[in-house]
Amino acid sequence: MTINESNARLTYWAGVALGPAAWAANLQGVYAITHLACEKAKWGGIALSTLLVLGALAGAVISARAIRRRAGIEWNDTAGGGPRAFLAWLGVGTGVLFALVIADQLLAAVVISPCLR
Amino acid sequence: MAAEQREIRDDALDGSQLAARLESIWRTPSGLIGTLMSVDHKIIGRRYIVTAFAFLFLGGMLAILMRIQLAGAEQRLLSPDLYNQVFTMHGSTMMFLFAVPVMEAFAVYLVPLMVGTRNIAFPRLNAFSYWMFLFGGCFLWISFAFNVGPDVGWFAYTPLSSLQFTPSKRADVWAQMITFTEVAALAVAVEIIVTVFKQRAPGMTLDRIPLFVWAMLVTAFLIMFAMPSIMIASTSLILDRLVSTRFYDPSSGGNVLLWQHLFWFFGHPEVYIIFIPATGMASMILATFARRPVIGYPVIVLSLIATGFLSFGLWVHHMFVTGLPQLGAGLFTASSMLIAVPSGLQIFCWIATLWDGRPVYRTPLLFVLGFIVIFVIGGLSGVMVASVPIDTQVHDTYFVVAHFHYVLIGGAVFPLIGAVYYWFPKICGRMLSERLGHWNFWLAFCGFNIAFFPMHILGLMGMPRRVYTYTPEMGWDRLNLLSSVGAAIFALSFAVLLANAIYSLRKGTLAHDNPWGASTLEWATASPPPPQNFDRIPAVTHRDPLWADSNTLPVIAGLSAERREVLLTSLAEAEPQIREASPEPSIWPLLTAIATTIFFIGSIFTPWAVMWGTPPMAITLIGWFWPTGSKEDEE
Repeated sequence: MTINESNARLTYWAGVALGPAAWAANLQGVYAITHLACEKAKWGGIALSTLLVLGALAGAVISARAIRRRAGIEWNDTAGGGPRAFLAWLGVGTGVLFALVIADQLLAAVVISPCLR
Repeated sequence: MAAEQREIRDDALDGSQLAARLESIWRTPSGLIGTLMSVDHKIIGRRYIVTAFAFLFLGGMLAILMRIQLAGAEQRLLSPDLYNQVFTMHGSTMMFLFAVPVMEAFAVYLVPLMVGTRNIAFPRLNAFSYWMFLFGGCFLWISFAFNVGPDVGWFAYTPLSSLQFTPSKRADVWAQMITFTEVAALAVAVEIIVTVFKQRAPGMTLDRIPLFVWAMLVTAFLIMFAMPSIMIASTSLILDRLVSTRFYDPSSGGNVLLWQHLFWFFGHPEVYIIFIPATGMASMILATFARRPVIGYPVIVLSLIATGFLSFGLWVHHMFVTGLPQLGAGLFTASSMLIAVPSGLQIFCWIATLWDGRPVYRTPLLFVLGFIVIFVIGGLSGVMVASVPIDTQVHDTYFVVAHFHYVLIGGAVFPLIGAVYYWFPKICGRMLSERLGHWNFWLAFCGFNIAFFPMHILGLMGMPRRVYTYTPEMGWDRLNLLSSVGAAIFALSFAVLLANAIYSLRKGTLAHDNPWGASTLEWATASPPPPQNFDRIPAVTHRDPLWADSNTLPVIAGLSAERREVLLTSLAEAEPQIREASPEPSIWPLLTAIATTIFFIGSIFTPWAVMWGTPPMAITLIGWFWPTGSKEDEE
């Protein structure tokens, strides 16, 4: 196994891991500081969500880089048999989807006053 | 090594010799004891399916009782106390004894066949799981028969379910039934995950796994992470009631909202534990009857995984009226609305598959089409109640009852009935009647919508859930009558299904191996399959193996023809790794389940059950794992 192959094995599923992890961290993190947000940490949730959107997108980008040369295989061949390209595509999709969810939660944090009960 | 060389392998025998030999090795012993010892996933799967449907019919009868009671104002069929028990039993039975188990039941039967292996992983655990499920269900219903049926709703909110407000054993029965069914569900989840990860046929890479198997894999992970939450909740509730702990007592530092958090952290994924397998069934049926592979296989898998993750981030939308900070509620509104995206992606893939295919409108496909229509309506009302202002208005009204029945019956029961029609020939060896099937579908589709659509309007008119009657001045009687008529039609559709199954078991057309011309491996073996599933393990070279190699499905050789053995393969590439012994039939799973049942039931009456209840369990477990010197223990 070459170094490149080894790196690809480590990273092709990055989006599958990073997207949901970033979303879970955002949900738990922002929800945990909600009670404090009114007085002390007004911008904390917004900053955390912004960071985690980028984290989820980073997962998608890493997955995309891992398969950039063979990206079309999964879509052109219905026989299957390329689990790495398949997982990498899942990584790209998962990273983007969860970035979207976090961004939606970020919007909620921007629009809704943390002091509203 | 010498013994290894003397061992007869499957490549040394011709077809009929091998089939006869494997059948004698894998068959379940005859007689009553043999039946109780079975570890064959097909036998246990069939038992699971039949038992779950028995509970469906029991729960359905309770629904009919409620609809008769509510058909007019001030009816007196059920007393308020009995009505409380009836709606609690209905919800608990449908959720814990039918919906989750029946999906797992189909997985227990089908997943090993679909991935091309000879038995499920941990077959004795599988047998134990079934017995626990059966005993838990019987415990609940026998309690109900003795007027100790739970009456605190299927989510048993504290403080209503606390000792102060429910001094009888009714809440304990509910809480311990949860423990039974969750132990069973967790066991099956472990089996499915290991079977899918390690027992796939060689060549079945991650991107060649059938979509139903993907769906069950995601579901199994959901069960693994969601169920412990409700087990902790129900156990702590029993402790509060039995030994005066104070988990849910605010006067001693406890918190009643803790119950809601724990319950709904399980309860919302529970909806997807029911729904996701149904989407897998829909994908399989659609591909077969559209006569083409499902469009967007990676997108559907992505949707399944994303839905699985997101399902853990929605639970607070059940708690919007508990006084949580609005920012917190807003976060969960966002997740709740965004989960419509992966579900929508799947629906677009299915529509595209139908659009591009050559659909054959047989009964299974009709039920899937009905599912899409009904589920989309349920999804739309779901997006509505994900919004805090709307949810605040309609919370605990019949609008919510309509919504979740559209999602659960539309999203799970319709594809499930489609799956019954689809896989009945494989399981029973005979076709179900198409004519009765069409009657079944149209009665179900019309009956369901007549029964549940008016509930949206009743909810908007302010009719609350769980009222045993109402006064004529409320103006709810006509819509309730309409709803009850619809429920009767819907119930009739299940009577047709039952009649069809009984008739077809005796006189249905004999099914050959692949009567629908489907593409996946379960159709590569006989209908019903022999005890060993496959004489030779298939080698998979295509996502739709039977469409790619309909006449010459490649196989691999080298497994033992002397003992029960399965092939373990690698996780991503499904490359062969080692041969693994598969357990023989055993009575110990049943005995362990009996000991566990005594312990569980005893522990709602006395904490000393922990002392006298565990030794029998320990003894049975020692018996279960005691080395017997048989070949299965050698490696």
